[in-house]
Order: sequence, then C-alpha cells, then structure tokens
Amino acid sequence: MQAPVENYANPKTCLFHVLFKGAALAFYILSALFFNSFVIIFVVTVLLAALDFWVVKNVSGRILVGLRWWNEINDLGESVWKFESLDQESLARMNKKDSWLFWWTLYLAAAAWFILGVFSLIRFQADYLLVVGVCLSLNVANIIGFTKCKKDAKKQLQQFASQTIASRFQSTVQSAFTLV
Amino acid sequence: MSHNDTVPLYQSSQSDIDEIENMMNGGFQSGPGSVLPARPPSPIRPSIPVTSSPFVQSNLPPLAPAQKVTPVPVPPAGSGGSEGGKASGFGSPANTLTEPVWETVKRDVGRIGSNLKLVVFPNPNREDPGKALRDWDLWGPFFFIVFLGLTLSWSASVKKSEVFAVAFALLAAGAVILTLNVLLLGGHIIFFQSLSLLGYCLFPLDVGAVICMLKDNVILKMIVVCVTLAWSSWAAYPFMSAAVNPRRKALALYPVFLMYVSVGFLIIAID
Repeated sequence: MQAPVENYANPKTCLFHVLFKGAALAFYILSALFFNSFVIIFVVTVLLAALDFWVVKNVSGRILVGLRWWNEINDLGESVWKFESLDQESLARMNKKDSWLFWWTLYLAAAAWFILGVFSLIRFQADYLLVVGVCLSLNVANIIGFTKCKKDAKKQLQQFASQTIASRFQSTVQSAFTLV
Repeated sequence: MSHNDTVPLYQSSQSDIDEIENMMNGGFQSGPGSVLPARPPSPIRPSIPVTSSPFVQSNLPPLAPAQKVTPVPVPPAGSGGSEGGKASGFGSPANTLTEPVWETVKRDVGRIGSNLKLVVFPNPNREDPGKALRDWDLWGPFFFIVFLGLTLSWSASVKKSEVFAVAFALLAAGAVILTLNVLLLGGHIIFFQSLSLLGYCLFPLDVGAVICMLKDNVILKMIVVCVTLAWSSWAAYPFMSAAVNPRRKALALYPVFLMYVSVGFLIIAID
C-alpha cells in the first residue's frame, strides 16, 4: 500500500523547528501557574525564543526550504543584506509538506505572540510585555528575512531565465548569420 | 554577453540544460569569490539581530575559538578555515547551505569569542575600529546583558524581579538610545554593529558584578567597580570616537560613560 501523500522528508528538523517555538510559548503561558518569579520566566522564555531564532535561521531554513539570509559589513563599512538559495532543481525537489510546515508555524507563532502581547497590554503588565516584545521581534525578524530571501530567489530565477533565453536567441541568430 | 555584472546565485552543476553549462562555466571563472551578484548596498533595515556570516572579509587575526558557550550559538569564527578555502564562487553557497549543523554552531560560538577578544582586550586591531567589529553578532551582548541582570538580581535581597527587569531594560534601551545618539550626531556607524559593541563592552562590568556578588565589602566593591568601569570605557572609546566628527567626540562618548557609571552604581548599591 503506498501512502497517497508524501511524508515529511526531514522529520527531525521539522520537530526541532516546532519544538523551541512551542516550548517558548508553552512555558510563557504555563509558567504563571508554577513560578512566581518573573526572572525565571523571562530568562527561560527569551532563551528558548533565541534558540528558536537560531535554529530557524541556520538549520531549518536551510534544510526545509533551502534559503538563508544574513547581514554583512562590506569593506566600505556599509551594511549589506545577503541572501542565498539553492538552485531551481533542488528547490523544486523540496518536500511540499516540509515547506508548508515551515512557513505556517512561523506565521502562527508570530500571531500567537502578538495575541499574548495584546493580553499583557490589556492587563498593564509592562514586564511581561517586554518578554513578549522580545520574542515577537525575533519571530518577525525571521519572517522578514526569509520572505525577502524567497523573493530574491524568485527574482534571481527570473533574471537567469530571461538571460538564458536572450543568450540562446543571440547565439541562434549569430549562427544563422554565419551560415548565410 | 558578459557574465561579469550578474553572477547566478545558485549552483547549476546539476542543471540538465547542456547549452547553458558552457556559459555557466564561463560565468564561474569570471565570478568574484563571494557568492552574490553585485547589489547596491541597501539602506540599513532594522530587525535582524543575528548574523551568520560565513564570509569573513575583514582582517581579523586568526583567534582561537574561546569559550564554549554550548546552548548559545553565534556568528562565525575568525579562523574561517572552511570559508577561506573556497576558491570558486559556486562552491560557497552549497557549502553553507548544506553544511552540517555542528559546523554552524562551532562557527557561531567562535565568533563570540573572537569579537570579545577584539573589543575588550588590547590587540593591534583596535587601531582600525571600523574593521575590527566587522562580524558583529548580538548573541554575545545578549548573553552578557542577561548575565548582568541575573547577577544583580541574585545579589539583591528584595525585589529581585524588578531589579532584573530594570537592569535588562536599562541596558537594552540604553544601547539603542546611545546608537541613535551617535547616528543623530552625524556619525557613521552601523546600528547593529554599535549595539553589538556596547554589549560586548559590558563584559568587564559583568566580571565586576560577579566579584561584588561574592564579596560584600563596600570599599572593595567601589574599587572593583571603578576598575571595571574604566576598562569598559576604554574598550568602547576607540569605536565610538572613530565613528563621529572629532569635534563631537565628547558628545558621543559622554552618554556611554554615563550609562556605564549608572550600571556601576547599580552594582555598588545592590545589597
């Protein structure tokens, strides 16, 4: 019996991708039941969120969707954003389920933090708002980075395709002329 | 048709379009060592706190990757062995995209160590501040700020949570405001680079806070804080002063000094 739907190609990576996000959210929400100390809540939540940021940026981004972004300072002292993506062949071969999971958990986590932020705003808890703010900004940073990277990859592909067509056309024309 | 202005981003060795392969190979040789097509330097966009740059362009001395901060991964090592060996431009994206996770961790952890050494300890690269903190990262500063907050909170006998929150918010907001100060004075500094610098310069104060936590003598505390304060300010001085117009150096440096003094007071005053 063949499974009609393809399975996750990288189950371990998917797990880690979701693990830290979920842990940060769960810890933040449940900690109020167990811990009285704000310090522990802050440190653990922000640490988990930071780990999640690193995992998404460096590991699951690469493996699940084949994208990567970073920032560099060039010799002129200016900051340059750099994007990297796999070639079209590998991108097309990427597991659909993997990339679906990647993007959707990214968006959902950001939405969840936003809602939690609204709650803490309503309750006038400035310190919890700080935690939520930090976690939300880490999530949003990843979303923006990867979205830009995807757009950049598409643009590169289009440029490449049009260049290819143009050069093939040119070489065809040249060979036609040399035959004449 | 020249390939000099656009270098295709991705490796095409597996491409099955044969006619293109020759052109691609021509493009490979003419391509620059780094991966990407020439892009105009984009304006600084906020929001990306952490970099993971595999391409160490600056002339960092090959520093031994220092402390092994295991769960806190950070940007690249000064000893860019794997990156330095990439001659062809197209080997690079594949390598960083498909490198094993452990390599990334090692690279990132090494970067904290090298940045720390560059900023806080005397070394020849301080002569050229612009180049020294080329590979900024925010993991080191994050770790130092949290550590300072935890130390202060631990030393406090009452209101531990408030102490931590205040320390963290003060340092984070302070770093942002100081950076804005430099930018508004017409200085040339990159936002995240400056945040990274101010964070790393907290390391001496971290050390001072730990010592003060262990020994509760007021005189000792004052001496330790003065020494570490001077060390922090000395560490931050060349980077901040190089960024602004010489006539406005004091305007840029004074608030930095003030922030470190206030942290010093926090350390002394906690009992």
